[in-house]
Amino acid sequence: MATRETTPGTILPPPRMTTGKVGWIRNNLFSSPANGVTTVVVAALTLYLLWLLVDWAFGTADWTVIPTLGGTLVLGQYNSDSVCPSNDCFWRPQASLLIAVTYMGILWAVAATALVRGVVLTTAFAAAAMALIPLPFDEMGMDVRLLLVANIPAVFLGRWLGLHTPVGSTRNLIIIAFLGFITVYCLLSGTILGFVDIPGLHTVPSRFWGGLMLNILLAAGGITASLPIGIMLALGRRSNLPVVKMLCIGFIEFFRGVPLITLLFMSQTLVPLAFPQDFPLDEVQRAGIVITMFSAAYMAENIRGGLQALHRGQTEAARALGLPPWNTTTFITLPQALRNVVPAIVGQYISLYKDTTLVFIIGMLDILHMGSSFIGSNREFLPHSRELFLFIALVFWVFNYGMSYVSRRVERNLGVGER
Amino acid sequence: MTNGDASDNGVEDIIIARDVHKWFGSFHALRGVSTTVKRAEKVVILGPSGSGKSTFIRTINRLEEHQRGEIIVDGITLSNDVRNIDAIRREVGMVFQQFNLFPHLTVLNNITLAPMKVRHIPRAEAEETAMGLLERVGIPEQAEKYPAELSGGQQQRVAIARALAMQPRIMLFDEPTSALDPEMIKDVLDVMTELAQSGMTMLIVTHEVGFAREVADRVIMFDEGMIAEEAPPNEFFITPQSDRAKLFLSQILH
Repeated sequence: MATRETTPGTILPPPRMTTGKVGWIRNNLFSSPANGVTTVVVAALTLYLLWLLVDWAFGTADWTVIPTLGGTLVLGQYNSDSVCPSNDCFWRPQASLLIAVTYMGILWAVAATALVRGVVLTTAFAAAAMALIPLPFDEMGMDVRLLLVANIPAVFLGRWLGLHTPVGSTRNLIIIAFLGFITVYCLLSGTILGFVDIPGLHTVPSRFWGGLMLNILLAAGGITASLPIGIMLALGRRSNLPVVKMLCIGFIEFFRGVPLITLLFMSQTLVPLAFPQDFPLDEVQRAGIVITMFSAAYMAENIRGGLQALHRGQTEAARALGLPPWNTTTFITLPQALRNVVPAIVGQYISLYKDTTLVFIIGMLDILHMGSSFIGSNREFLPHSRELFLFIALVFWVFNYGMSYVSRRVERNLGVGER
Repeated sequence: MTNGDASDNGVEDIIIARDVHKWFGSFHALRGVSTTVKRAEKVVILGPSGSGKSTFIRTINRLEEHQRGEIIVDGITLSNDVRNIDAIRREVGMVFQQFNLFPHLTVLNNITLAPMKVRHIPRAEAEETAMGLLERVGIPEQAEKYPAELSGGQQQRVAIARALAMQPRIMLFDEPTSALDPEMIKDVLDVMTELAQSGMTMLIVTHEVGFAREVADRVIMFDEGMIAEEAPPNEFFITPQSDRAKLFLSQILH
């Protein structure tokens, strides 16, 4: 038996550190000379651009255009002299916000997850924090500020209602949402659904609704309605009944095939041509319906994709247990399909919210149109339009990033891609 | 006896198939299958892949529609009448090769869903039954988990419990152990053996010869959409009559 000779090797230096901050930087940013150069160049470029931005934002930029527009960015002409002679209509949008926040409080009581609580409280406190906007009191009065602060008691009132009264159930939430929309509409228009004027409230036709309020109203209506309509369309398209199927395909392909701008134009010009006498829906309602239908058509295809991705065994197992088709859809296929397409649904929501700015094409004064028409009629602010549009972009970004963040949390909670 | 409620002891022949034909497009999958299964009988169905054995048991609860012939399950003739199909599916439980548990529901909810929605049993009662069934298949501690957190053998036992929760009179097994790791097969077969001893009528498509010899009252061998041979397991495995059965057995019994 031969013994194997071993020679003592040279003592190696300790391996390079791969943990800790230094290790992380070494591994990820300077793992090779080429990567090191890239890191340095990109970092320098980023810092330079950041410096330019900061320098501009705090140096040359003149942000006075935003306080000059002030509340009109939020409400449009809603509270202007021509629409509301004594400028005392501002409380109606604010009361609408309070209704929405109270509703969210009820939602918090019913769906008591950390995510819902976070979203609800963030919304309420963000609304209340608007009371601290540093505008002079003659532009943003104490009454306005107090109504904003009232969002905090409102959210807790909603929670209390949800916990201690019969309103706190999933079915009632849907009914309350519907009633809430109608109430808000009546309150904002000062009429009962456009038919009868409410005494004591100045009538504000919806063509004077504007600013961010209009974008949010259109988006909230579209987001709430497009999901159930999209689900119906998706199920209808998979139906065995030829008439239902053809109708759904026709609907989906029409709304997907025509640009939204064209649809909006049609809603404003063709509908009055076809129904010259008193068409029951006003401009904003028609725009809202068009945006909702457009979004629902895309939603339907997202959901249909989710349904098709499911393994056939799921339906077979449900059918083998004797579950009728309707139960199979409600309890087996639809929940799984929706869970799988959460990212696509939220993507559609974000897209819908951004598309609400397209109503400026049909003459509605949403936040973007308020900005551009102000610049157009006040030429002295022309050099500072950049600041204004950047601000508007930021407003949209905050909302959309919020939705995107919630979507990611929902995905994680539902374990998309894990089970 | 075309309709309505056949009582438990009313019909001795619980499944009657007469000249059943099935086409997938131009492919003739079942070519005149006729057989009768008695109450509490255990029938193992063997045959090479593509021989129509799975298709046949799937016609019994109408997951596949037969195009010619007649199938009568517990006194109810299978037709396009939706009420008949629903009635039969309530009486016939099925276990699939791929388990087909509902991944978005816990084990307990997988089992209670159908009893609650179809039989309108209150939740508390359905959960009690479900826990009893989980005890019976040996995994009560997994009730609150999701299917993806279970091993294949555990998932298949949940699938059996889920089918039993509807209190079926017939259980169909479509290759219940083919997707399992070898060490899990025994757990599932033990549950099936126990079920067989309790007097359940069972139709089992499987390649487990040992199980077939132990449990089956009768073995049916399918070939090219037809029944090639039908015999008690001892005769079938020891003295097969047809050449086709001899060849098949020589291939599966190494």
